Amino acid sequence: MLNFLEILIRGLMLGSVYALVGMGLTLVWGVVGIVNIAHGEFVMLGAYFAFWAFSLLHVNPLFSVALSIPVFFFAGVVVHRRITERLVKEHELSALILTFGMSILIWNLAQFLWTNTYRSVPYLTGNFPFMGLVFGKSKTISFGLAILITTAIFLFLRYSRWGKAIRATSQNSEVALVCGINTIKMRMLTFGMGIGLAGAAGAIISLQWVIFPQMGGSYISKAFAIVVLGGLGNIQGALAGGLIIGALESLVTQYLTAKMAQIIPSVTILVILLLRPTGLFRK
Amino acid sequence: MRNPLERNWVILGIAILMAFLISLPFFATDYWITLVILIFVFTVYSAGWNLFSGLTGYTNFGLAWFIGVSGYVSTLLIADYGFLWLFAWPIGAIFTSMISIGVGYILLRIKGVYFAIAMVALTEGTRELFGTEYLTPITHGGKGVPFVAGIRLPTLYWSILLLAFITVLICYKVTSSKLGLRLMAIREDEQAAETLGIHTTRDKIIAFVLSAFFVGLAGAIHFTYQNYIDPTFAFNINLTLTPIVMTLFGGVGTVFGPVIGATLFTFIHEILWAELTLLYMAIFGGILMALILFFPQGLLGWMKERGILPRIRKI
Amino acid sequence: MPKGPILRIEDVVKKFGEVVALDHCSFAIEPGTITGLIGPNGAGKTTLFNLITGVLQPDQGHIYLKGEEITGKRPYEIARKGVGRTYQIVRIFPKMTLFENLIVVGKETGEKVTERAMELLDLVKLSDKKDNYASDLSFGQQKLLSLAQVLMLDAQLILLDEPAAGINPTLQNDLMTLIHQLNRAGKTFIIVEHDMNVIMGHCQNAIALNYGQKIAEGSCDAIQKDESLLEHYFGR
Repeated sequence: MLNFLEILIRGLMLGSVYALVGMGLTLVWGVVGIVNIAHGEFVMLGAYFAFWAFSLLHVNPLFSVALSIPVFFFAGVVVHRRITERLVKEHELSALILTFGMSILIWNLAQFLWTNTYRSVPYLTGNFPFMGLVFGKSKTISFGLAILITTAIFLFLRYSRWGKAIRATSQNSEVALVCGINTIKMRMLTFGMGIGLAGAAGAIISLQWVIFPQMGGSYISKAFAIVVLGGLGNIQGALAGGLIIGALESLVTQYLTAKMAQIIPSVTILVILLLRPTGLFRK
Repeated sequence: MRNPLERNWVILGIAILMAFLISLPFFATDYWITLVILIFVFTVYSAGWNLFSGLTGYTNFGLAWFIGVSGYVSTLLIADYGFLWLFAWPIGAIFTSMISIGVGYILLRIKGVYFAIAMVALTEGTRELFGTEYLTPITHGGKGVPFVAGIRLPTLYWSILLLAFITVLICYKVTSSKLGLRLMAIREDEQAAETLGIHTTRDKIIAFVLSAFFVGLAGAIHFTYQNYIDPTFAFNINLTLTPIVMTLFGGVGTVFGPVIGATLFTFIHEILWAELTLLYMAIFGGILMALILFFPQGLLGWMKERGILPRIRKI
Repeated sequence: MPKGPILRIEDVVKKFGEVVALDHCSFAIEPGTITGLIGPNGAGKTTLFNLITGVLQPDQGHIYLKGEEITGKRPYEIARKGVGRTYQIVRIFPKMTLFENLIVVGKETGEKVTERAMELLDLVKLSDKKDNYASDLSFGQQKLLSLAQVLMLDAQLILLDEPAAGINPTLQNDLMTLIHQLNRAGKTFIIVEHDMNVIMGHCQNAIALNYGQKIAEGSCDAIQKDESLLEHYFGR
């Protein structure tokens, strides 16, 4: 029983990071209307950001997590303004192909510049023993950071003026426009937030796992599953979805095999789209 | 074609081209033969993708699923059960088509981006599934299946040439037929099409299965040519993406767009790959972005707009 | 023509979450009539059309076409049984030519279909544009094309959703003349309209809906004189 609890909690901690990635994707997809396949690559860039800050400038990785948010927010705003805003009204194939191209460009450039050598940020090592269970320090701190950032996002969306405008735009962009909300600016802001979340997630990931150019791939497939599970544009749903995916992965890896756990995102997507396409959670 | 003289010239041109292509193995080096084989494989992939997605507007992001399933069935039949390639290929394609009826019936209720995502999920899921411990006894999992099919290069070449020719012919026929119009109506406005008496589910599935058959058959041939298959190769997202890009390049929804796109792109690939191996993929990604941003209607679309080509459906 | 109503709606209920779009609605339409369907926005008129054509399924109740139950049938089946429908915001196939827009309808193929399409293009006076893309047409012309598509189905029951909206009086006139012509040939019409002149001037009967309920049904003369209805519709 204790073993099960430990596995479950570990899964939730894993899931909190997935949730960050998923929240960024669902925000962009739901509010801006763009499916960003390159989202995983921004996670990868976030990880490398933390890595280079640590190894070249000896920046505390925890600080990098905080720093990554504005840096990647800014990057997201630029990318949207220059590239993705044009696709908002187009057929979905255009956004899919464009962001796919962007994804390929980014990770191959990363591979060219930084090679495939595995990197890591060995800043937090050791364990926290807790009530008879043992949890890695890096994982626990990461979990804490993820929860912190998630709370901040929720508060922002709920109480700030911009946050409310974003929610209005996500519910009905035409009405929002009529209400005087500058939807272009909102989309830029939201895209920036989405990428900011991706970068932060990446920086957090750098604390726990190895870093390599193609790492974005596994996060994007989980992110899609989370978006579908939680409902498009639904941030709370994405949080729940992330935790569920993380828990499932941990449990399946333990009780079946690691390879079987790889199927979880795909199966989730298919099952939800067929049975409950709007997602498990209502807005 | 209004002008009978023009028509005769076109037929002559096609005849000369066909004669050239058929006789290629007799005078070309193996390098060129294999290059043209790849062109034909991707022509079928592209034309097959276009047949469904270009006409109905349902973006099929799971082309690799057709390729992988058929590739595996065909390869396992040849490698593990001693089937002759001549039988293994069509069995692989037919098997894939049969399953596609079910897959299409279930998944084609999902619209828009979600359909694309669902097809990706199907492909990724199948890839992982083939690598799990439960299926490895049959599929050989990640180890892959190196094999030799007992077929000479020219024979393989002529097979894929024939398939490419037939596929393009079928695409031409469908696009000019009432089925083609109905598929386009589905793309324009599916609900309005249905209230005008069009059996949209049946028509979508027909196009989906046709696509599965041709793409599957080309996939079986493709892996026989490669003498190897494993889950990562078989269900690779590049096998989905490349034909889509080729079709976009040539012009979605046209008949010859995929053909031209496949031909040009394979040449570009060869050149870039030879010169700039390391950055090749990055450049490919950049080209994709540029294509969408600046050239969304593709080469044929651009030519039709400028009046260089007549704006008729048939091309 | 067989006896009995061409369309019968029996105790139909349709909800969208908490919102009741149609609340135990029942009525019958006799063949060869032109009936107006009136009511404020959100009264359930378009939902009713969606239910009749099979685009949506009722939560309760039954729908009969020429005596045969069509509740729960797919839209293409119902269309092939002779029910045609146009949309409030016109839905034709923009990137296909006028000719293609017509021949794509229904399930037959061949010479007859081509002839029919040409006849109908003549009827709506758009023959000269047969190879133009539908998106090139003016709004009013698109409405005519949409009607021609319905006629390709050889529909006996035709549902028109605000056919007169947004087009100039001359074209409106042509349209209504066409409708009467077709009506004399035996076709039944149900027309949703907000323009009371159109309803009173062209329909024999009318059905009024409000908040999903039928609040009046009868000949146009009778309805015109019904005080409480006028108050419902124009008052609040």
